[in-house]
Amino acid sequence: MQMSTESVGQNRILPSHSKSLLRGNRFRKQLMPWLFIAPITLLHLMVVVGPSLSGAYYSLTEWSGIGDAEFVGLQNFQELFFEDRNFRIAFQHNIYWLAFFVTVPFIVALAVATLLAQVRRGAMAMRTAFFVPYVLPSVVAAFIWKMLYNPQLGIGAVLANIGIPGLDHAYLGDKDTALGAIMFADNWHWWGFLMILFLTAMQNIPMDLYDAAKIDGANRWQEFRHVTLPGIRPTLLFMLMMTAIWSFLGFDYVWILTQGGPAGSSELLATYLYKQAFQRFEAGYGAAIGITISIIAGIIATTFAVLRKRGWEV
Amino acid sequence: MSRRVLLWSILVLCLILSACAAPAPPSSDAAMTADDDAVMEEKKIVNMWVGTNDTADCVIEVAVNSFNEQSDTIEVIANKKADMINAVRPALAAGTGPDLVQTHGPSFVAEFALADQLMPLDDFVDQFGWNELFVPWALDLGRIDGNLYSLPQELETIILYYNKTLFEENGWEPPSDMEELVALADTINAAGIIPFAGQAGECQACNEWYFTEFVNKVAGPEKVYQALQGEIPWTDPDFVTSLNILNDMMQKGYWMGSVENFLAADFTQFSTTFAEGEAAMNMEGTWFYGREDEYFGAGTDHGNEWDWVPMPSSTGTELYSIGLGGTMSINRNAEHPEAAAEFLTHYFSPEVQANFFSQCRLALGPIRISVDELGDIDARMAEIFSRFAQASDEGRYGYTTWTFWPPKSGSYIYEEIEKLWVGDLTAEEYLEGLDKTFQEELQAGETLAMPDR
Repeated sequence: MQMSTESVGQNRILPSHSKSLLRGNRFRKQLMPWLFIAPITLLHLMVVVGPSLSGAYYSLTEWSGIGDAEFVGLQNFQELFFEDRNFRIAFQHNIYWLAFFVTVPFIVALAVATLLAQVRRGAMAMRTAFFVPYVLPSVVAAFIWKMLYNPQLGIGAVLANIGIPGLDHAYLGDKDTALGAIMFADNWHWWGFLMILFLTAMQNIPMDLYDAAKIDGANRWQEFRHVTLPGIRPTLLFMLMMTAIWSFLGFDYVWILTQGGPAGSSELLATYLYKQAFQRFEAGYGAAIGITISIIAGIIATTFAVLRKRGWEV
Repeated sequence: MSRRVLLWSILVLCLILSACAAPAPPSSDAAMTADDDAVMEEKKIVNMWVGTNDTADCVIEVAVNSFNEQSDTIEVIANKKADMINAVRPALAAGTGPDLVQTHGPSFVAEFALADQLMPLDDFVDQFGWNELFVPWALDLGRIDGNLYSLPQELETIILYYNKTLFEENGWEPPSDMEELVALADTINAAGIIPFAGQAGECQACNEWYFTEFVNKVAGPEKVYQALQGEIPWTDPDFVTSLNILNDMMQKGYWMGSVENFLAADFTQFSTTFAEGEAAMNMEGTWFYGREDEYFGAGTDHGNEWDWVPMPSSTGTELYSIGLGGTMSINRNAEHPEAAAEFLTHYFSPEVQANFFSQCRLALGPIRISVDELGDIDARMAEIFSRFAQASDEGRYGYTTWTFWPPKSGSYIYEEIEKLWVGDLTAEEYLEGLDKTFQEELQAGETLAMPDR
């Protein structure tokens, strides 16, 4: 308050040209940030906002993806939610996908990060080894897994040849195992990335806290539960939120390994969207699926925002 | 200092905006001379998109280069595009795209034509003698609402190939009707050999080969024709029987040893299993010609040979399902449509088609061409096309799904049939779903005008 009064007082005694200079400075100060973000804003408007708005419009139309679109209101959504069995199955698969990816990779990554945090010799080599799958292009990683799952050439066949039968099964061709096999392959490339994030977060936890815990007689599990987990909580929760959102965007591994088959048993919303828009020429219907995915992502992000507002450390 | 920052910001903004400008037109040769430029200015440019594989290189060599060498007035520029056919759709929607538009088949052309993105070709039919060049029914499939919008690209049918060496070793005779086929499959299976090679893991759309063959060869082409005309539903008992025969064999593991193996297999496994004699037969299209020499013959370790018979029908009549693999059209916004039509005439000429067949191992277009004009080609393939042509002239033909079914029904056929094979649907339920989708497309006018039988 005092500073503000002083500023006003100073302005009063400044000559007129200095006043205009100040005004110019203030103008530049206000304009400059806008100029800096203008390019990315423009780009964002062109490649995100524009297509999003047009996607929202086309979701209300009967449109083949070429030519004129016919406005049909909420008909696509009505069909999607109340009539389309394949959509419901794909949605259900996405829920399995979500449940898997917010648990298994997190547990594996946390366990390995905790153990690696204590390793001194060869730690960098191990981190690199676990992280490498993440930097492999998904098409390469998926192809590797396609070969590994092959009942004639893959792991199962090799084991069968050395006298361990029973695993030479066509996992990607079996409707009961295809989705699980894809999730396993996708997790192989994903958990290493999570592990590196958690490890980095763990290294920022002050050692004093661990020392204090030791003095209080805490065992390893208690250290992990009461020091490590609270210490990496922001990273953990942020990644949980992002993983939940990304779970509804899963496409590449499914498409490369099974294209949603066999018999739709590994179909996800994103692969279903692609098929509707580009194979069946139902671009309007595909847009409705896309909008539904966006709404789900919005609900997840809003949930985290509300929790944060209520005092959760999210 | 602030002014300098301001200027830099504006400069960066201008650079980004300039990057959004339209790119320069593509040039096939960066080192063109001024004389070349002058010639190019005089020539009418026709753009076409091709794929990125070896076949595309062969198409450029055989069709594009040969045309450019002989034409003083037209230059065809072939641009390689990954996923070329799907890339065409957004390009056309944006009012751009190649002058020559390729699609998967006649039923896909309807979507573009109804959206007014293709040019009617009727004016060129007489000018370039297309009525004399093409087989009439094939040319007629390019008509939508009475106007011609596409030219048929490859003539295809499904054949029953068999491992000749394996058959001779076991004393098996190729079947001549459906009953014999089923009995032979039982015999082969009892001998510990897989009756049929196949795959769905790499190409799910290939499932439609089996639907095509069983509805045409069991229910018969007349019934299929009536259903495609909307005169009878797809739930007709004869179609149910057709699919039950297919499904019974599938459940017995007659394709790749089990349903799971079939659904997971890729093309390499499929071809290897057949060629090496782990599987005895293969129901596949004439495009098998594109890869059979990699897997069979003197160049391989096993040296096995293949042969073929028409895919057997229930009545024993020699029937061929006719199919068109792709179409060629002219973009509504093409700058020189007549030049594009002239190139198409060259593309479908007997000389170029014969070279496609012998050099690129591509199927022939549905043009009037004699076997003698095909030059030095595999005698078995020459025989297939000869007998196929004769059968279609005599009306002994059925209908392939990728040519005569509209897109949504086509997708339904190859996606949902897996549910029949894994036991999630019965044949009746599967056909009910097909009928619902097909009737919707029929009502919307998205089905093809069928040539009279």
